[in-house]
This record gives sequence, structure tokens and C-alpha cells, in this order.
Amino acid sequence: MYRTAAKRLLGAGLTTSRLLRSTIIPSSYTSNLCTSSMGHTESPIINQSGPTAASSTGTGEGPRRKPRPEFEEEQARVLSASLRHVARLGWTEEAMTAGSRDVGVSPSIVGSFSRREAALVEYFMDECLQLLIDRVDSGLDLQNLIPSERISKLIRIRLEMQVPYISKWPQALSIQAHPVNVPTSFKQRAMLVDEIWHTVGDGASDLDWYVKRTVLGGVYSTTEIYMLTDDSPEYRETWAFLDDRGKDAFDLKKSIQEAKYFAQDIGAGVGKSFQGLMNGVMQTMSTRGGGSTSAF
Amino acid sequence: MALRSISRRFGSRILNYRSSVASLHSHATSFGFQQVKEEEKSKLVGNVFTNVASSYDIMNDVMSGGLHRLWKERLVGKLSPFAGMKHLDVAGGTGDVAFRIFDAVNSVKRRALRKVDEDSLEETQIYVCDINPNMLNVGKQRAAERGLRDNKSLVWVEGDAEALSFDDNSMDGYTIAFGIRNVTHIEKALAEAYRVLKRGGRFLCLELSHVDIPVFKDVYDLYSFKVIPNLGELIAGDRESYQYLVESVRRFPPQEKFATMIADAGFEKVEYENLVGGVVAIHSAIKL
Repeated sequence: MYRTAAKRLLGAGLTTSRLLRSTIIPSSYTSNLCTSSMGHTESPIINQSGPTAASSTGTGEGPRRKPRPEFEEEQARVLSASLRHVARLGWTEEAMTAGSRDVGVSPSIVGSFSRREAALVEYFMDECLQLLIDRVDSGLDLQNLIPSERISKLIRIRLEMQVPYISKWPQALSIQAHPVNVPTSFKQRAMLVDEIWHTVGDGASDLDWYVKRTVLGGVYSTTEIYMLTDDSPEYRETWAFLDDRGKDAFDLKKSIQEAKYFAQDIGAGVGKSFQGLMNGVMQTMSTRGGGSTSAF
Repeated sequence: MALRSISRRFGSRILNYRSSVASLHSHATSFGFQQVKEEEKSKLVGNVFTNVASSYDIMNDVMSGGLHRLWKERLVGKLSPFAGMKHLDVAGGTGDVAFRIFDAVNSVKRRALRKVDEDSLEETQIYVCDINPNMLNVGKQRAAERGLRDNKSLVWVEGDAEALSFDDNSMDGYTIAFGIRNVTHIEKALAEAYRVLKRGGRFLCLELSHVDIPVFKDVYDLYSFKVIPNLGELIAGDRESYQYLVESVRRFPPQEKFATMIADAGFEKVEYENLVGGVVAIHSAIKL
């Protein structure tokens, strides 16, 4: 993962999307997920990403000591083990307690996670994002697809990762929606959406960027929720829904573009007439009492 | 403020006198604003708590306006107790923290909400350790009042925070509420805490600490030095003990320094949280 981050940091052009990625990479949680081929590149970069990782795991009002890397690995290990129990126990402290017992650590460590259950959900979200990036890097065939289909495919891959936990996913969504947890969950979703657009091949950094991310965020969220109530075999209906939304999004994109041009034209028209009015007023005032006509 | 500067000068005069004597014997340590020999400190502290044991709880309520209950609730909330845990509460004589942990684990509401293994509920052990038998007796009495006299989960042990009688790596949690400033060698107590905790075990310390906020600091000092000893005299009939109390708070290391000491003992993820602007601080850490 560090290889891709470094590639994108130093690669051609430094768009805002790449800056966004490089500053909020939660390196601590992903250190265990890197494949063995990337293992050797971990150590030199782990120090650089230390401060960002520390700031994402610190809590409380007082200044924090930066946790040593082993401690963060330990936390990641506990969270990873806890995921195995989520299907049975839900996104709860009990699952985390069971996970910590699996790793051989006292369950008291659960008390030290900031926002307990939310830590587990956030870890899962980060892990899924990382898996998605890995899938993309290991050669996903997107060449023959039009953009809306590419987006559908990527979202489908990402949502399929949630299938083992689907019975407890509503609980995860409600945890993410707590006001305390909203900043982090919003950031994670923003990163996900950003990553998908980036993979689809869009590197724009103008105002369009926000519109695109928002639209895709909407597509992703609606599909996610649709999936919760889908009983069809292998979630066929969800994917159909997703394809339709993908197409809509692109039509929407076109119509947003059109709306923008339309607004610009109107603005120009209004601007011209306003300007004319002002000129007229100025002339009338400067030649007061005179019988000059306005510039209309 | 003037009172403080006077007592500082007074204290340093005592220091000069005693240091000539003390240099021949062991190291000197602080007992409030006085300097005393180390061996004497535990005896003096013992006397203080023998005197205050019976009215300890009432005085806590009066001095803090009932806030100490909220602070202890917060401490236990941070601990996040679980069924089957082995917990050690040091200097917890009258059992405030221990009872709260017991309730947190056993409360019916909690059991209904979460899936709890009934067997592991039996294994929960909360050890209350205190150096002063009078304080422990008050605690046992309170347990009896709650109907927990014969409950196997609560174990009352007499012991010294600097030399605990528990095995290495045996405790899931260690708390010390308003006790560590009375210990002669804080580093030893921290080292002992590190020793008895299991891997992943949590250390939590609730203690009166230093206030830095400008105006509030003066109000707090005024309250400490003027009001509290008088309350002690009025309610507990013991001015000196409460004078010692407020002085020992000033002598205790500030939040950052104490956090460094905890980290030096080997703990990870050392953090602290100030309550009421620094009047009280909860330090937490993990052993890995």
C-alpha cells in the first residue's frame, strides 16, 4: 500500500485528490494487510506515517504520548481477530472482548479503544478500502468498460466485501451515524469515493470534483442500503439497481453540466442587462434634468 | 496566595533544619509541605487515615460537593469492566471504586443488554487492597450493608502499594483512586502495578492534580487552604489531617510529569484527562 501511495505522491501531477489520500492514510491499521511482496517496503516508511497514525488513534484532552508501532500493531491484531466474531456477536464490545482473547491479550484493552465499537467499524472500513486498492492494483480489467460500468463494477467489488457481515451491517451503519463518529465515517467514505473515481480515470480538480464525489457517494450509499433488504440469490437485484444508478449518475452528470452552462448564460444575460441599467442610471444622474435617453 | 508563599518559606526552613539531620540518615520526602524521613511518611500517613476512616466518605461528599461520585463513575466507565475480570483496586479502602466495578459487571440491565457468559460472571474477582486496616473495615461494613458480605467476588486484602502480594501478570485492571499521592515512592507503586498487570491490562489513576487556569486557580487555592481544613475540624474533628491532604495535593507531580513517570514504568499509550479544569486528573495506560 505504501508503494501505491508513494507512486501517487511522486507521480505525474499532484492533484488535490492525491494530496487528500497521502495525508489521511491510516497506515497503522493496514500494516498487517500488506501482501508479502510489499512487506519489505514497510519499515522505512512506517516512521514517516507514524505521526499521522498517532493522531488518529489518540484520545482525551491531555497531550498524548505517541504510541509505539508495536502497540498499534497489537490493536490492529485485536480488531482483526474481533471481526471473526462480528457475525455472531455484532459490532459490540463482546466481539472485541472475544477477539482480544483470541490474540492472547487481556480484554481490558477494549476499554482503551476510543469510541469502542466505532473503532471496530472504522477498522473494517479501512480494511475494505485497502482490499479494493489491492484488487485494482493487481490488475482489474476495466479497459473494455464504459465509465458508468466501471463504477458499477468497483462498487460491486466493494459491497461484496460486506456480504459476510450483512446481517449486522445495519448496526454498523447506525454506529457510523452517531454524531461522535460522523467525522471519521464521513472521511472514510470520502476516501472510498475518491479512490473509485481515481481508478475510473478521473483526475480533475476543478469544481466538478465535488459534484462527482457527491453523486458517487449518493450512488454508493443508496446501493448499500438497498442491499440490506435484498433477498435475491447472490444479490442480483442489488447489482441491477446499481447499474441503473450508475447510468443515472452519468446522465445526471451531463445534466448538471448542461445546467451549469444554462446558468452561465442566464448570468451573462442578467449581467448585461444589469450593466445596461447601471449605465443608464449613471448617465441620467450625470446629465441631470437633461433629456438623454438610457443606453438600452 | 500569601498563605502559600508563607508556608513555602516555612517549609524550606524546616527543610534546612531537617536536612542536616536527614543527611546522616535516609532520604527525606514530603509530608504535605513538611519534609520528613521516608520511614516516617508511611507512619504519618497511616495515622492520618486511621483518624479519618470513619468520616472519610462524608468528608469526600462535603469537600467535593458530591462531585467525587461523578469522578469515580467516569473512572469506572473508562475501565469498561467485563465479566470474569480480575481487578485490583489499590488504596481503595472504603470500596467506592470496587463497588462501582462490581455493579457495572453484575447489573441486571447490563446482563440483559449484552450476552454474558454466566460462568464467567462467577469468576469475576475484585481485590480491594489498602495499607490501613481501619479503612478496610469501613469498606467491609459497607459491603455488609449492601448484602455483599459473603460475596466471593469482593476480596479485601491488607497490603502495601509498593510491595503487592499478588502474582505477576495476574490482573486485568488496576485502579488507584486518590491514593497514589500518599505513597512514599511513587515509582515503586507504578512498577508494582506494571508487574501485576496482564498483557493488555489497564492502569487507571484518579488523583487530585494541578490547576493552571488563571482565575480559577486562585479560587481553588483559596478553597483548599481556607475552607477545607475548617471543614475537617467541623465535621471530622481533625484539622491536621485535612491540612495534610491539601498540602499533599500541591506536592504531587503535575499531570505531564506524572504521565512521564508512568511511561518510564513501562506502560504504553499513557494519556490523561483533566476534570474540572485540572482539579482532578485521570491518567490511563496499558501494559503490553
